[in-house]
Amino acid sequence: MRKYQPLIASIVLVAGLVLAAWEPSLSAESDVDEGRFTPDQIEHGRVLAGIGNCGTCHTASPDKPYAGGVDFPTPFGTLYATNITPHPQQGIGGWSREAFFRAMREGVSADGSHLYPAFPYTHFKNITDDDLDALYAYFMTREAIDYTPPENALRFPFNLRFLQWGWKLMFFDPEPWQPDPEQGQQWNRGAYLAKGLGHCSACHTPRNAMGAEKQDRAYAGALVDNWYAPALDDSQPVPVHWDSDTLYQYLRSGLSDYHGVAVGSMGEVVHRGLKRAPDNDIRALATYMASLSGDTQPVNTQARSAELITAAQQRARGDLSAGEALYIGACAACHYNSPQQPMAARAELSLNSAVTADDPTNLIRVLLEGIGTESGSPILVMPGYSGLSDTDLVELAQFLRRRSGLPEWKNLRQRVAELRELHRQAQAGTAEHTGE
Amino acid sequence: MATKFKINSRPVTVDVPGDTPLLWVIRDDIGFTGTKFGCGIGLCGACTVHVNGRATRSCITPVSSVANTVVTTIEGLAENGHPLLDTWVEAQTPQCGYCQPGQIMQAAAMLRDFPDPTDEQIDQVMSGNLCRCMAYVRIREAIRMAARRMQAGVPDDEGNTREASHA
Amino acid sequence: MLKYLTGNNAAPSGDRHEAGQATDLPSPGRRGFLIGMAGAALTLAFARSPQGLANPAKAVAEGAFEPTVWYQIQPDGRIIVNIAKAEMGQHIGTALARIVADELEADWAQVELHHVDSDPKWGYMVTGGSWSVWQSFTPMSHAGAAGRQVLIEEGARKLGVSPDQCRARNSRVIAGDRSISYADIVSDGNISRSFTDEQLKQMPIKPPSERRVIGGQARALDIPGKTDGSTLYGLDAKLDGMVYGRPIIPPTRYGSAINGIDDSAAKKIPGYRQTITLEDPSGTVPGWAMVIADSFHAANQAVQRVKVDWAPGKTSGVDEQALLDHGRELIGAADQGTLVLDEGNVDQAFSDAADILEPEYITHGVLHFQLEPVNAIAQEKDGRWEIHTGNQWQSLILPILSKALGVPEKHIVMRTYMLGGGFGRRLNGDYAVPAALAAKALGRPVKMVLTREDDARFDSIRSPSVQRVRMAFDSQGKITAMEHHATAGWPTQVMAPGFMADGVNGKYDPFAIQGALHWYSMDGHRVRAISNDLANDTFRPGWLRSVGSGWVNWALESAIDEAAHKAGEDPLEFRLRRLKAEGRNAGSAPNSVGGAARQANVLRRVREISGWGDDMPADTGLGVAATYGQERNMPTWTACVARVRVDRETGKPTVEKLTLVTDAGTIVHPDGARAQVEGAALWGMSMALCEGTTFKEGNVADTNLNTYTPLRMRDVPEIEQEFVDSTETAVGLGEPATTVVGPAIGNAIFAAVGVRMREIPIRPAALLAELRGKSDAEGAS
Repeated sequence: MRKYQPLIASIVLVAGLVLAAWEPSLSAESDVDEGRFTPDQIEHGRVLAGIGNCGTCHTASPDKPYAGGVDFPTPFGTLYATNITPHPQQGIGGWSREAFFRAMREGVSADGSHLYPAFPYTHFKNITDDDLDALYAYFMTREAIDYTPPENALRFPFNLRFLQWGWKLMFFDPEPWQPDPEQGQQWNRGAYLAKGLGHCSACHTPRNAMGAEKQDRAYAGALVDNWYAPALDDSQPVPVHWDSDTLYQYLRSGLSDYHGVAVGSMGEVVHRGLKRAPDNDIRALATYMASLSGDTQPVNTQARSAELITAAQQRARGDLSAGEALYIGACAACHYNSPQQPMAARAELSLNSAVTADDPTNLIRVLLEGIGTESGSPILVMPGYSGLSDTDLVELAQFLRRRSGLPEWKNLRQRVAELRELHRQAQAGTAEHTGE
Repeated sequence: MATKFKINSRPVTVDVPGDTPLLWVIRDDIGFTGTKFGCGIGLCGACTVHVNGRATRSCITPVSSVANTVVTTIEGLAENGHPLLDTWVEAQTPQCGYCQPGQIMQAAAMLRDFPDPTDEQIDQVMSGNLCRCMAYVRIREAIRMAARRMQAGVPDDEGNTREASHA
Repeated sequence: MLKYLTGNNAAPSGDRHEAGQATDLPSPGRRGFLIGMAGAALTLAFARSPQGLANPAKAVAEGAFEPTVWYQIQPDGRIIVNIAKAEMGQHIGTALARIVADELEADWAQVELHHVDSDPKWGYMVTGGSWSVWQSFTPMSHAGAAGRQVLIEEGARKLGVSPDQCRARNSRVIAGDRSISYADIVSDGNISRSFTDEQLKQMPIKPPSERRVIGGQARALDIPGKTDGSTLYGLDAKLDGMVYGRPIIPPTRYGSAINGIDDSAAKKIPGYRQTITLEDPSGTVPGWAMVIADSFHAANQAVQRVKVDWAPGKTSGVDEQALLDHGRELIGAADQGTLVLDEGNVDQAFSDAADILEPEYITHGVLHFQLEPVNAIAQEKDGRWEIHTGNQWQSLILPILSKALGVPEKHIVMRTYMLGGGFGRRLNGDYAVPAALAAKALGRPVKMVLTREDDARFDSIRSPSVQRVRMAFDSQGKITAMEHHATAGWPTQVMAPGFMADGVNGKYDPFAIQGALHWYSMDGHRVRAISNDLANDTFRPGWLRSVGSGWVNWALESAIDEAAHKAGEDPLEFRLRRLKAEGRNAGSAPNSVGGAARQANVLRRVREISGWGDDMPADTGLGVAATYGQERNMPTWTACVARVRVDRETGKPTVEKLTLVTDAGTIVHPDGARAQVEGAALWGMSMALCEGTTFKEGNVADTNLNTYTPLRMRDVPEIEQEFVDSTETAVGLGEPATTVVGPAIGNAIFAAVGVRMREIPIRPAALLAELRGKSDAEGAS
């Protein structure tokens, strides 16, 4: 493992090596000949673009697919996704296959400048040539959209792209991942998709001060764009073990009877991205993901969940808190379950990862914002409870923790206030925007 | 911003700000006034409608979040007929009546998930619907009557009946 | 409750504490009865003046008749009963129509209801006090009987037989094997008849055994529409060209003034129009601003962005403690308040007493929380105003609207809608005023809707109260005298001062003390009612389901229980022994026939069916209470036994069962009556255990269901109830059970775990503290 490098030292180091950071620009293709791509290749690329979830980051407005503009607030400033439609000026229409490959695998733009690792070339390096060709074919045959995303707004010195060369020196290993001969074909297929195109760890792994994934804490859960991507390893045990069947159900439908509903970014991953993937790829992903948590002992999932739900309902009975009263008024109508038969559409809150995670972000956000058909499951809508006060939300959330037999969250009130402010700003923006 | 969805089997497109609560769109823009405004924070249930067959508090549901869904109000349930509407009259349940459309919509959704509800299930699911006249005794009675009658089959929002089993 | 709010506008007079006989009420029958054709339909109505009797057809055509009892028979046989009462869950129209239909021998399936708007020609309009059936029974019966007589006469003529050969059944006149329907009689008849008041009084009213509609099984006519969503409430009203208004309510109920309004941040909201300051000559809504927008959503969004700068009124710092402390001071000052009753030698009894009990009881504020927040649409057309809103007491608000708008009362009409809950909130029509002022300022119709939070802050709540009940005991432990001192905000003083009653030494609000004039025989009995002026200044005290009986009986029936335990007697037996039906407690015709004997009867019956005296499991007890509903002159005899289990770990009381016995005289609509008792009993329980608010900085602290927590489905106990089978005068049912359940619960808690709770709502934490205090005390002794 690389050792942590103090920020200043790295800037000095990198600044001294400005010249070494230079990469050549690659000649532009003046006219991409769409005819050179086969329909199969384009279709394959479409599926892969789904698994890679490209659209989520590169589509700000549904009527401008892949034209970029999505903002990424980072500790270093705000980045904006680029236009990856084949528009010759605004997009990648002028990019050769070689330039596309170099961007995907080395994080270098066609003009030679270094890309920020918000673009997950650190994962895409693992994509095979065939798959990259298919993606190239797919993107080069999209509608070219004349749209210029906003300029990145990074603070100095992070706005100096050549510094990325130094970042790469420290944190980027260009060697692609190799299949593990000890594991079966399905596991390896899943690992390839997860580590490469799917770039799962980009969200689910915490990052260091320089924005690089902490390799020793892979899949330990992380906060991304004010959503909490839960731990996929065994660092935060979930009440009911994720096995490959429940993972398959979740990745395929966005719902798990025993864990909850995919919302926020993960909702998009499931419903816009993975939707395109064939069943065997979802199975492969589920097999690989299931292996991430050390706990592989087979359990009777239904019996375990029945036991947990019964215990939760008993705890609630003796709870006279304001949180319990709010739960009965606001939540139970939709979330009550019979212990023997929890239903995915009635997300059981004693098992739900938004409640059981160490981080309260997802629960607070879902409470404030609700879940529309666009973000959660296309069949489910949850209203937003922003009419409840901060005190109410704290009471309710802590009750849900107690009900699940978990310790109360620390600093919850502060987190509620922060997320309410974010929500308020978003709401105010929407309200006034519609007036223009 | 235009939002499209189906309401009571009719397709609609409403051109209102996307953050407008579904309740006001249903009442003031579309004109079904059976769905009521009670507390505005999702704690009384008077505004309960079905979105894709599931009970939803429309007063805190922005209309944008029901894009492309199927919304059913009490008027839609009444159009297609539902045993709860009969048992509600037979048990002479309503007093002022203001909360009852929401109660019925909540109960109809409950009977899909719990076709033969226990007292505990009724308590847990129906306690989110406040009845200020406190006609709770008859609400419970009307639900039980309907559940018995529906053991043969549970109608969906289109009035079609399917097996009363739960997937 | 509203025996005083009668059909004539004059303030009541005379000795009220024992008065209020039915003869005080306007009897629409006094002026005679008209039957005549209005178009194709036969109209049957009480005349507004004896002059109308000369030409019934003309009087009917001109609508010169009383609205309270007025029905029409259509040529197709439909019988449309017009109702000038607000429908708010009591199925009042059904109950009144049943009285008419019974005497008319109508086919119930053909009976329909029509709710009428306010109009000067209709006279006084008020619905409240569980009072409608009681007031209307006799005139409704006369109206039906007159119709029957005329239809029989006309039918006999058409059948060619004499009327005494005919009888009426199911909307037909029958002579032997021949018959003719009312529809046919009306279709080709030209009927014109009138009856003088004397003739009406001679009208044969059927004996109870002949009743076919009253007391039988029949469904309420208003229920189907309330089930399928088609019933229109005030909130559902819509007028062409209307805009939406949402008020910005000032920091105090009175005395706030707007210094300035900054709406710059609201201007970006699409659909926002403007924010206006309401200028209110009636003083109903001082310091109000109103946001005007094209949709309610836009108005809500704008309200969050409009900044109003106020100079607040003087009550902006008042909190609950100040209100209660002020109440205690008033009780402590002997010169405050009004003596309502002073019988026997009370002072002597206390100075001779071997022992004195003087517990203090507290109740906190209760929000009406009628589920439909108050709202109104106001519109002016050619100098005439229409107010579209659900309201219980049109005649109280019309003069205020007249003052606010600067137009004569006769130029204002209140359009009637169903009430999404009344409970007394809509007796006070203050919410019509801001809508009217906004419409006047804008020159276009305004639909004003209050959010729940607005509604709570603007509510005329049930006032918090402080009461001290003093009881003197002789050396045998017998009560020799009782003093009951009660103070609270007085709704009638604030909103309808003309309806204050005369006490021994001044005026008082009868509704704020009713319940204290109990039927237990005692040597000395003194009742003092005191208006809490700080409460009256801070908020507008309201009439809320049973009004004073709700808090007065909490104190009285808890105190009686304390006395029984002090005497070491069974609390139910203790009560029975004092219900002697002697002297002033003997009762009088027609309303309180039997007096205390009937109070005792419901107690005995509830003892039989409630398992009173059975062994109870640990920490479980039975408590009893008995009340006469609301009014001594219109008593609804009520008794309740509550079975309560207390969790000693948490202090949570669980009501396992309520058993109620009610004697309300004749029961017109039995199923509706049961429903009223069920709902009222649960209200009583909710106010005893679940809901209550306090004042903070001049406003109620709880404005929505996040912190205000009325009883919900899961809290509902088993309820067993029965009515005493009776043909006595029909009295009210909307409120009595509300008054009896709270003290029964408090008394059951004492029976279960031996702690006496004297404050409602009873919170588990308070009960737990009492339990711990008791065990500490026992541990120390």
